Amino acid sequence: MLAAFRGELFKVVRRPAIWVCIVALVALAVIFSYVLLGLVYSHPPKGSNSSLPAGETLSIFLVTLYPINFIKETLSTWASLGGVFALIIGVLVQGSEFGWGTMKTLYTQRSGRLAMLAGKLGALAVVVLLMVIALFVATGAASLIVAGLEGADTNFPPADVIAKGVGACFLIYGFWAVFGLVLATLFRQSAMAIGLGLAYALVFENLVFGLLSLIGGNTINQIHQWFPIANGGYLVASFGAIKIQGINTTVSPFADATHAVTMLFVYLVAFTVVSALVVKTRDVTS
Amino acid sequence: MIAPAPSTAPTPAAVADAVVQTHGLTKHYGTGIVAVDRLDLTVRRGEVYGFLGPNGAGKTTTLRMLLGLIRPTSGSASVVGGAPGSPASLTRVGAIVETPAFYPYLSGYDNLRLLAIYCRVPVKRVAAALDQVELTPRAHHKFSTYSMGMKQRLGIAGALIKEPDLLILDEPTNGLDPQGMADVRNLIIELGKGDRTVLVSSHLLGEVELMCTRIGVIRKGKLVAEGTIDELRGEPSLKVRAAPADKAREVLENDAGAGNVSVLEDGSFTIKVDLDRTAEINQHLVMAGVGVTELRPDERSLTDVFMELTGTEGGL
Repeated sequence: MLAAFRGELFKVVRRPAIWVCIVALVALAVIFSYVLLGLVYSHPPKGSNSSLPAGETLSIFLVTLYPINFIKETLSTWASLGGVFALIIGVLVQGSEFGWGTMKTLYTQRSGRLAMLAGKLGALAVVVLLMVIALFVATGAASLIVAGLEGADTNFPPADVIAKGVGACFLIYGFWAVFGLVLATLFRQSAMAIGLGLAYALVFENLVFGLLSLIGGNTINQIHQWFPIANGGYLVASFGAIKIQGINTTVSPFADATHAVTMLFVYLVAFTVVSALVVKTRDVTS
Repeated sequence: MIAPAPSTAPTPAAVADAVVQTHGLTKHYGTGIVAVDRLDLTVRRGEVYGFLGPNGAGKTTTLRMLLGLIRPTSGSASVVGGAPGSPASLTRVGAIVETPAFYPYLSGYDNLRLLAIYCRVPVKRVAAALDQVELTPRAHHKFSTYSMGMKQRLGIAGALIKEPDLLILDEPTNGLDPQGMADVRNLIIELGKGDRTVLVSSHLLGEVELMCTRIGVIRKGKLVAEGTIDELRGEPSLKVRAAPADKAREVLENDAGAGNVSVLEDGSFTIKVDLDRTAEINQHLVMAGVGVTELRPDERSLTDVFMELTGTEGGL
């Protein structure tokens, strides 16, 4: 299994598409969350304060971009959007093998099929962790620059909060990556897997439950609590909201962090088991 | 004249020396297709075994089953002493199945390095394998830039990196130009020397004839003949066209025996006789006053045998 892990890691670190995904996520996070919002908050456009408490401007939101809040800010925006990149990486790691016909090359080497899958999951975990660390390093650095420019406090959150934030993001991205891997395994290709994965990530769960909540209320929430995007949301919400002067930002998620972590683990394990069963039993005919 | 596929089990000596052995190996697909049908195959140590058959005969499915890529519907197989696809077996097998498949964004060298990692063989084997297939000058170029011939040679290098006891090569000259085919053919002949066993599938008869020591012919998933090329061709004969026919027949029957002379529809004769006696027979005919207009060896080519066995002209 170690050989399979080393081999998979050898491949992913040399694959440009993986780095494109990581760099794109980090660049988007810095540009949208810090550069653009920083400009808007520090130079509010005319009329932008109409929905704010009297006498306040958008500059009250600058606090969201300071280092003390960078974990919450990054998670609240990028835990879900960044999941899409993790999904793509998961699909690429498995789906491309079918496209290139390299599955037969892999399976005719020394390791067994399950060892190969375990190696792939291990390499995927490393890449996702790398992506999460890169994301937080970049947003942390960006928050420091914003605070420096604004003359604000440059203190970061306590180490345990940072560690929990990294862990939460890793779990959420891990779910998406393994979701991508299982889709690619089932459909034996990348295109269909990415298409369906994106449809689920961006449309299906939120749209369906958004519409149902209009008519079902709490019953729909009871059902929704078993779905992955909802649990990603509960986990992020468990970090609390950023306090903004004059605005009530209290959040009360439907389920707590324990429930969210448990459910995301259940999905991770379920997808891994499904992938293993398919990989183990399916003929390689191409 | 054609050696039929053995209907009984191989001899104990052959079994003891078997590198690949299948018993009743069968693969059905859900759509009712029988890709391989109760195949009994024995490949012995040190031979270059040609696995012949027209397109769609079941060659690739068989090889995939031997490598553990496809699970048989029934039957069993042993490959270098292990179950197909087991680490014990794969450690000693190098293979190319259909077109060689590698990672396009990696160089040839890195692709082989990757295989070395998977197989747990020293990375220094990579350079040696590349050298063996004369790919060293392009080793650090990306696989996606390789020509078909170079990809095929990289595939062979990949199969060799484990220094395997058994090489399984599925249509290794597919897509190659004549020079590339000759290079690969010579390489396979070289690789087949010594104790290493090579199982090579092909529908190119000329290739097989030049490379293989023994041949199995598969048709519609069944092994229809097996043996050396000479065994498959059957005994050579001599074709004679001469007049007057009565006198010619008398001379030929005296020389070869009545049972060995047959008259063809066009009035010519076929005689089963040692071809070294051709000049002597010619002399006897001439001395008897028979006019000889045609006298030539009538050896059946492997193509004739293949077409007769498979009922096709495909793949020629």
